[in-house]
Amino acid sequence: MDPITAMIGIIIGGVIVGICVHFIPASAVGAMSASTGIATGPSMLSTGCGLAGLYAAGFSITLGLPITVVSGALGSALMIICTMLLANVICAFGTGVAPVAGTYDKDPITGWRQKPFMSPGTDGHSMPTATAVSGIIGALLGGAGGSLVFASVYGMLTSPAVVAISPKVAAISPATAITIAGMIAAGVFLLNCVLPAYVLVGKTEGMTDPKMKKLPKTLISCTVASVFIGIFIYIAVVVI
Amino acid sequence: MEPVTLTLMIGVGLAGAIAFIAGIIEDAESDAGSASNPNSQVQLAPQIGHIIRYYDKAIAGEPPQNGLWAAAACTIALLVSWRFVDLGIGQYYAIFFAAVVGAAIICLVQGCFGVFAHLSRMGSFAPFKQPLYWDSLLTPLPYSMGLAFLTALLLTLLAFVTGGLLGNPFAPPLLALIFGISLGSIASGTGDIQYGAERLYQHHIFGAGIPVSKMGDIDLKGEYGFRNSVDTPYFCIRLGGTVTAFAFGLIIFLDGWTRLFTFAGVWTSVILEAIVVAVLFIFLVWLEKFTRDSYGPYPGQEDL
Repeated sequence: MDPITAMIGIIIGGVIVGICVHFIPASAVGAMSASTGIATGPSMLSTGCGLAGLYAAGFSITLGLPITVVSGALGSALMIICTMLLANVICAFGTGVAPVAGTYDKDPITGWRQKPFMSPGTDGHSMPTATAVSGIIGALLGGAGGSLVFASVYGMLTSPAVVAISPKVAAISPATAITIAGMIAAGVFLLNCVLPAYVLVGKTEGMTDPKMKKLPKTLISCTVASVFIGIFIYIAVVVI
Repeated sequence: MEPVTLTLMIGVGLAGAIAFIAGIIEDAESDAGSASNPNSQVQLAPQIGHIIRYYDKAIAGEPPQNGLWAAAACTIALLVSWRFVDLGIGQYYAIFFAAVVGAAIICLVQGCFGVFAHLSRMGSFAPFKQPLYWDSLLTPLPYSMGLAFLTALLLTLLAFVTGGLLGNPFAPPLLALIFGISLGSIASGTGDIQYGAERLYQHHIFGAGIPVSKMGDIDLKGEYGFRNSVDTPYFCIRLGGTVTAFAFGLIIFLDGWTRLFTFAGVWTSVILEAIVVAVLFIFLVWLEKFTRDSYGPYPGQEDL
């Protein structure tokens, strides 16, 4: 992969990772079944979900960029659907509540009414259908973004143009290059998943949440952070 | 059957089994130390006048904390295993014994972390007249350390199995970090709901979420005597622990399982994963319908 293309891939991947956090339903007070969403902070959940995608993408890294990105996306989607399904199981049989959303009266997909099933004094519980769809979309985005960063860094480290001019990069074995790329992708998750926390403030219901209007703020902050990371890696690999 | 396929099948089964047990233990460890989101309730309790005897080591999020334990244990294990191989011990024995060494060191680190975290937490409750009870620290501490040892050991072994038998190209410490953070977020998102919404609030009515106005009003009495943090995993492991284990085990197992087939070339695993996601989504919608039909609307809210 051409180093400049790889750098652009890192930037785009980082921004997509930031966007994914807005789609994944998560809420800290969900742990008390007091609001809709997976019962943990959006940032850490998105990181965990993206890293599961990264694990899946690792298997496909030598097969090319498209398969790596799609593998990562579906690995993340598998993690989020398992988590959502089994969180709903806990809410159903451990707490005795039905999945209810706080931000809409009727589910846009199933058309089921929400308010009658919401326990008094709470904002909803677990993940109803539309919220779950939002989670899957978020996981697909997050996994794809993280895998794009991973594949781009790997592409940059194994690029013939870079290997020809830099003996230090040429000395890196493919296995080490994969691990370096994986660590950078994991770092991008830890950075770009935390930035949206400032607009989400610990709780989001995914695409149906009014906080989606604050997406441009996330976009700007993640773009700035990703440009820094992209340029830094380019300088580290190609220039130095 | 080809040897490669057989190795992969053994790897998938072993990875799934290790992931399952790691899920149970990790959830119990976080419940024993109030390490995830329900810790907010444990912290609120002294503020509304409840004197508690819970062990509270929540000074970091569960996923990064767990990722740190796993990655550190695996790094130590990898280094020690090279030394063991140099000493003439067989490769598989070297990895297993080195994993035990790594997990034992992390167990001690987690103990120090837990002691200082609890002391500082309880110290910060001084304005609310919350005493520091030594029994609330010293009784759950060895238990929590033991669970941390098992979690670190199992995640280290899982990293070696997925790297060695399944052929994941990442270095084992990175795999351990990935599994640690993923498992932490899964346990925090699934199993801990039973701790936060049910175990801490058993004197509240079953079948409802905890209203914001009731938050902090947690249980102070246990099955006998005061409620402490050793009682918590005893209760939560039965549903919360097993469901967490099922989530993490299912992810690792299904992800490996989709790689056993080759009918569509390199895209096989992707196609199978998409089908699995679709099937699990259908289960999710069915479960929503089942709970709505079974429980019905809350009294007085039928017409909302």
